[in-house]
Amino acid sequence: MSAPLHPRLDPACFGEPAARDERFTVVDIWHDCVNLPDGHPEKAQEFFHRQMNEEAAVLENAARSLWEFPDADWDLRMWLARQCADEARHTENYRRLFVSRGGRLGQYPVLGFQYRILGKVHTLIGRLAVQNRTFEADGLDAVTHAITEAREAGDDELAAVYDAQQADEIVHIRFANEWIKREAARNPRALIAMGQALALAARGFQQTFDREGSRVSKYGVAEDLRTQAGFSPEEIQDFVVITEHRRAIARQDAG
Amino acid sequence: MTLNVRERADTIGTLRHISVFAMETLARWVPTTPELEAKIVLGRHIWEFAQHADGLGRRTHELRAAMHYSPAPTDPYVAILEEWRALTATADRIGTLYDAIIPDLDARYAAYLAATDVFLDEPSVRIVERNRADLPRMIEESRALRKERPELAASPAAAAMARRLAACTEYVSFRAPVGSTAERLA
Repeated sequence: MSAPLHPRLDPACFGEPAARDERFTVVDIWHDCVNLPDGHPEKAQEFFHRQMNEEAAVLENAARSLWEFPDADWDLRMWLARQCADEARHTENYRRLFVSRGGRLGQYPVLGFQYRILGKVHTLIGRLAVQNRTFEADGLDAVTHAITEAREAGDDELAAVYDAQQADEIVHIRFANEWIKREAARNPRALIAMGQALALAARGFQQTFDREGSRVSKYGVAEDLRTQAGFSPEEIQDFVVITEHRRAIARQDAG
Repeated sequence: MTLNVRERADTIGTLRHISVFAMETLARWVPTTPELEAKIVLGRHIWEFAQHADGLGRRTHELRAAMHYSPAPTDPYVAILEEWRALTATADRIGTLYDAIIPDLDARYAAYLAATDVFLDEPSVRIVERNRADLPRMIEESRALRKERPELAASPAAAAMARRLAACTEYVSFRAPVGSTAERLA
């Protein structure tokens, strides 16, 4: 039996959800989350809770790829296994932060989009392109911004968590970039599957966040870190152009 | 009499097969295990089994077998592994992994060390010792999990699986000796 899906979402873009225990309320669209304004006293706590769930989703996606692609190169499987451990540790980091600062697991709704979108991507190159090369790389930009914010707020504990996590994410993006480049050289037709996966994920992401949620695009591109993560200068320049376009729209919407 | 090189490769390769199987089983369970705390521990231990498999797989190549040679265990042992993977209740998944599968794996590593020549086969010995060193920590982390989520502590399946594993003493499907009739027919 299929899990219910918000009527606004296209079932072609969303697979089955991952399991969450009874403490959690899982929602399908960003609008149904608790989206607090900047400066709200619970803003940071809600973010830790949301991010804990997102890290768990990345863990689940890496684990699923490890299970579903048993014939992949052993070296790549080792990296996926490593990513599982890293994402599990990140999940635990946020869980500890959230609980130690007075939170209760399940206190806020969480999104299930990452796992559900990847469930409709049936190629390994597509999964890595969407999860590692897109979602994780966008997270790299966000965490760079977050480290600065935490340091400015004097929250050294949080800055240390972000700093360690950022180093891990670079590794995850880099192994995916390196494998994708090798795979594309070996089998150029794989790029078609990659393009299809990216297009599907973009549709699913847009439906999840809608214009309102997408407006929260306030970070620039972390160019140095993306270089370390294996993106070429041309790719990084493309990201800069796209990101600046998004930020301009966000500023326009904000009036 | 100690294991010869071919038998060492078969045993190390079979231990690799079990490590890969465990890695894949945990990977399968992570998305389908609801409890967040259990998901985290399983996710972290995927990498432990991957590293064990990697070390063992590199060693098989040094023992005149293929790189990452991973022969399947004997049929009775495979049957237990398949039943283990099919478990769905989180308490059973946790209980069987940490109270049956891992202690049994440790016992099989210990049996290998007792059966090989620790000097002539020193590289294997070091790999096995390093793998064994991780196992008590993994069990300890499962104890912390079960202390935090006591409802995961009671597993009806764990003790039964431990008994079945203990009874399954022959787990390596050894290849026929070189030059034997069986080998020539294979």
